[in-house]
Amino acid sequence: MSLAAEAFVSQIAGCRGPERTISRIKQSAEPWPENATLYQPLREDQILLSDCASSLAVQAYLRMCNLPVHVSCRSNAEYMSPSGKVPFVHVGNQVVSELGPIVQFTKAKGHSLSDGLDDVQRAEMKAYMELVNNMLLTAELYIQWCDDTTATEISRPRYSSPYSWPLNQILAYQKQWEVRRKMNAIGWAGKSLEQVYEDVSQCCQALSQRLGTQPYFFNKQPTELDALVFGHLFTILTTRLTSDELGEKIKSYSNLLAFCRRIEQSYFEDSQAGSSSRGYSKGPSLF
Amino acid sequence: MHQIVCTEGLTEMAYAKFAGAPLKVHKITNPWRSPTGTLPALKTTEESTRSLSKPSNIIIHLRKQKYNADYDLSAKEGADTLAFVSLLEEKLLPALIYTQWVDSKNYVDVTRRWYAENIPFPLNFLLPNRIHNQQLERLRLVRGDSTLEPGEQLEKELYQDALECMTLLSQRLGSHKFFFGDSPSSLDAYVFGHLAPLLKVKLPNGKLQQHLNSLDNLRHYCTNILILYFPSEGGEPPIHKVSVHSDSSDFDSEPHKRRKQILSVLFAMGSMLGYAILMGIVSIQHVRPQAALVGPRHIEEGGEEEEEEEE
Repeated sequence: MSLAAEAFVSQIAGCRGPERTISRIKQSAEPWPENATLYQPLREDQILLSDCASSLAVQAYLRMCNLPVHVSCRSNAEYMSPSGKVPFVHVGNQVVSELGPIVQFTKAKGHSLSDGLDDVQRAEMKAYMELVNNMLLTAELYIQWCDDTTATEISRPRYSSPYSWPLNQILAYQKQWEVRRKMNAIGWAGKSLEQVYEDVSQCCQALSQRLGTQPYFFNKQPTELDALVFGHLFTILTTRLTSDELGEKIKSYSNLLAFCRRIEQSYFEDSQAGSSSRGYSKGPSLF
Repeated sequence: MHQIVCTEGLTEMAYAKFAGAPLKVHKITNPWRSPTGTLPALKTTEESTRSLSKPSNIIIHLRKQKYNADYDLSAKEGADTLAFVSLLEEKLLPALIYTQWVDSKNYVDVTRRWYAENIPFPLNFLLPNRIHNQQLERLRLVRGDSTLEPGEQLEKELYQDALECMTLLSQRLGSHKFFFGDSPSSLDAYVFGHLAPLLKVKLPNGKLQQHLNSLDNLRHYCTNILILYFPSEGGEPPIHKVSVHSDSSDFDSEPHKRRKQILSVLFAMGSMLGYAILMGIVSIQHVRPQAALVGPRHIEEGGEEEEEEEE
């Protein structure tokens, strides 16, 4: 109803709705400050696959919007975040966490990547973002915390590395218990590791089919969907886990590999040159 | 009889109809009698397949039996299906769960009452409350906030996501008959399964329903599927359902109310009597017939003595 009303009013006013809205927002919003900071857990020792993927997605999005941000690694980033999830950005006097709210926040400041999309495309973009959250992110959490080998060898030691005994044991097991309860609630507890890999494969197949031969998901310009997909796929490809199967699933789709390389080259090439955003990758690059 | 319909059951029935699979629907009210212990459940005639319950498992099984409603879809459309199903599950389903099971008014007035009336004893006391707690716990885990309480703030966030989801579906559907062309697919089954309960079940707190009714193309889409594939159950306009429901609720509550009143009075009297006997205020003595005359005089004397003392 509100969309129709706005369109009607803008027609009367004699100018196109979206442009008028954006110009109005630009006049009222504060500019993006130079000292905007993104917080995430410690890169070398603490951060886990899922958090690294989310953080990389946000960094990619901000770079695509040309918004400078410093990356600051803190061991208690998770506790500092308003929603308990990382990453979160501190911009001016506001703190916003997770990609969805950050996209809304930047939109309110007048920066948006998805303005050129029509209604059908926007619906598809949101749907695919939910697909990545629903399948890829959940699979990452499952592999990290519900697979005993990975949990014992990688996740628990890394998650609690900044803390001393007995706090490290308590925090690690608490987190594991919390994630397992969530998996139970959404029906993933009964899945085997093979089934989870199969789900990841299906998700990648869907993404690959949607991408096709285009450079980005919605042709020439990247959107928040591209940032999200890049964040997850790149992190999976460059993170060493107990088995290589997850990375292999993605490598079997050549257009997804090419997509990740393209974004890395276009938006992260200058990370070594020491510009405003410092470093991002956790392991070797794709080259 | 007014039925609560659940999303998963509807999704599976719709898919079976779209794919032309012969499916016999047993309407049972006792989940313990189902083959898997929960509802809905699919039982097949093959011995190698055990009974299934999740919609995705059931759809996969039907596909293996060559009942495939997605046969004509292109690769991209198959990918879109997966994406939109994820959108439904992440954005719309939590709000549906909230509106049926967690929102206090809806839960007490409609959901719990239906379960209490239709499920055999003793499940009707245990099951609704257990499901209510399970669903609240699930919402808490999914949102990542263990202190979540049903209330305006949670409702606002969930409904905002759900309204946006419905608007997106409406935009994607446009003026087409189904999401992919002229014949329905599994995505149509999922969307129908999620939206139809909103259309058919009248809830006191009906913000989601209002929004759905304002999206004309989605409303026509659901009623269209109902008329085409569920002709025996669908087709009645929601207005008639409302009046039937309110009549039946008044009628039903009358005998229950009287029965409850009588039972509670009896229980109160019984407990007061029991307490009095235990405390010795009233004592029951077996008086032999010869001594019967002594009894009343004794009490009268006692009464006179008391009166004298009071004065």
